[in-house]
Amino acid sequence: MTVTSAPAQPQLDEAQLGTAQRELAQASRRPSTWYRDAVSCLHATIATVLAQHGHDPLEVLGTGWSFYHRPDDLPFEEFYWPVPDEDNLGHCLAPHHQLDISWHACSAPDRALSELAELLRQGLLPIAAVDNYHLPFRPAYHDVHAAHLIVVYGVDEYRDLVLVADPAPPGFNGPLANEAFLAATSSSNPADEQDAFFSETEIAGRFLVVRPDARLSALSPAEFGKALQANLDRFHDPAGAQQWSGLAGLRRYLDAIERAATIGDCQQVRRIYPFGWGVQAAAAVHGELLRTRGGQWRVPELIEAGRAVERVAHLWTGIRVSAAHNWHQPDQLGDSFARRGHQLLAAYHRALELTAGAIDKLS
Amino acid sequence: MPSDVLTQARRLRLVDLAAQLNNVAITPAEQRKSGACNVWGNSFSAAQMPDQPTITVAGIEFRTWHLRDAEPDNIRCAGQLIELPAGHYDWIHLIATGERRVEDELCLHFADHSADFEAVRVSDFWAAPAMFGETPALRSEAMHYPFHVQFGLAATAWHQRVPVTRRAALTGLRLPDNPALHVFALSLQPSPER
Repeated sequence: MTVTSAPAQPQLDEAQLGTAQRELAQASRRPSTWYRDAVSCLHATIATVLAQHGHDPLEVLGTGWSFYHRPDDLPFEEFYWPVPDEDNLGHCLAPHHQLDISWHACSAPDRALSELAELLRQGLLPIAAVDNYHLPFRPAYHDVHAAHLIVVYGVDEYRDLVLVADPAPPGFNGPLANEAFLAATSSSNPADEQDAFFSETEIAGRFLVVRPDARLSALSPAEFGKALQANLDRFHDPAGAQQWSGLAGLRRYLDAIERAATIGDCQQVRRIYPFGWGVQAAAAVHGELLRTRGGQWRVPELIEAGRAVERVAHLWTGIRVSAAHNWHQPDQLGDSFARRGHQLLAAYHRALELTAGAIDKLS
Repeated sequence: MPSDVLTQARRLRLVDLAAQLNNVAITPAEQRKSGACNVWGNSFSAAQMPDQPTITVAGIEFRTWHLRDAEPDNIRCAGQLIELPAGHYDWIHLIATGERRVEDELCLHFADHSADFEAVRVSDFWAAPAMFGETPALRSEAMHYPFHVQFGLAATAWHQRVPVTRRAALTGLRLPDNPALHVFALSLQPSPER
């Protein structure tokens, strides 16, 4: 990807422009947004950036599949994703591809635009954290405070505009006034009774930088099979319980939420809805990829495995939504979580068994 | 109305759900705070709903309730048992929607005290495509929020169907205990006469 860059435009009236250096940097083409109804803004914006770099977002974000939980994290942002200490978000989302994704924060509010412009000049599309309350294209505009992510593909201080892409419905892809953008990126995102899950977390000028390795290439069936086997090995790692990962970690998590509901621990139950979004999104994307590749490669077993993985995603709905509606009074949820947990674990086992069967057809 | 619809409509049994309705998913703009199709209080726009209680979707006739006001218009599923007009049926047709994609089970009860679990699959109502091959049944091009009306954001309820494989008289239907699933209407398609 190339960017255009014009730090000075002599034909413009200097008095009108003022003396301060103004930024003008934008991607050479407008990004095409990528979205699925099961994903959050995290997957949707990263996928949009990957597509802009010429990569297949579904493959990069969908090849890996795992379970991982960090019990001490507060997941109250739509884009929450648990990352182990010393690990990288890109590696967690795409363990079989070379993808580096890191969080940064603007060094100062008045440096935000120039720092984003500099990334654009490097050929990167930063993903900015925002408070939807300040964005005229979001349904929450002047209504609800809620943290969200959008892709930045241009900074134009001559027109006081930032070019942004928002893949989430209703969707937006175009210019936004600097004033609104800076209000959204510097918002304190105060507590909002309309949003118990994604408000009350300061935005603080944070942004993600996605650096895909230029050598990312489509996996062959055999490489894909190896990646799926690595997923299975991780799911079946008996050490997972201690690290809240894999099937053992999932079992521990399901036991923990059942216990939290039974003892009336509202705050633990409140975390289920935002934490579960990423888990649900990952299963939906992985399942879709398996189905798609199964069709392309004429491997019916892979289509079936993909559908079974998608079922896992869909079973997370019941857990997330019942938690969202009842977190204030969770004591009635214990039995329901126990039942849903058994059902979910069985669905994971079936998906993994079918995946194992499909791997044999890929070698 | 095409003749095949008329033929089908005569044979379908439209189930009376009025006593079970417990949730408001459709609101007039001035009563949008009553909406509860999801945890955010979103709802369909009543102004964009059919103005007749009996609607036909893909040749299947349904009885609906309160599509144009802020009274309960659907059953939010909590394990309710619905009594059905006893009969031999091939298909249970539903107008339903999901607060996110839903896969769950219905339990079908029969006159001979047998019972079968059958999968029910319903797509998300919030700006989402049909994931399970359903047909759109109710569609609002505007989404109601508690404090505003959002244009350009569609809400959809889907026509989905569930098979009745057992050749016995169906008498009842247990809905799943799943607050993400909303059922607006239910019609039974009889088996061909033997």
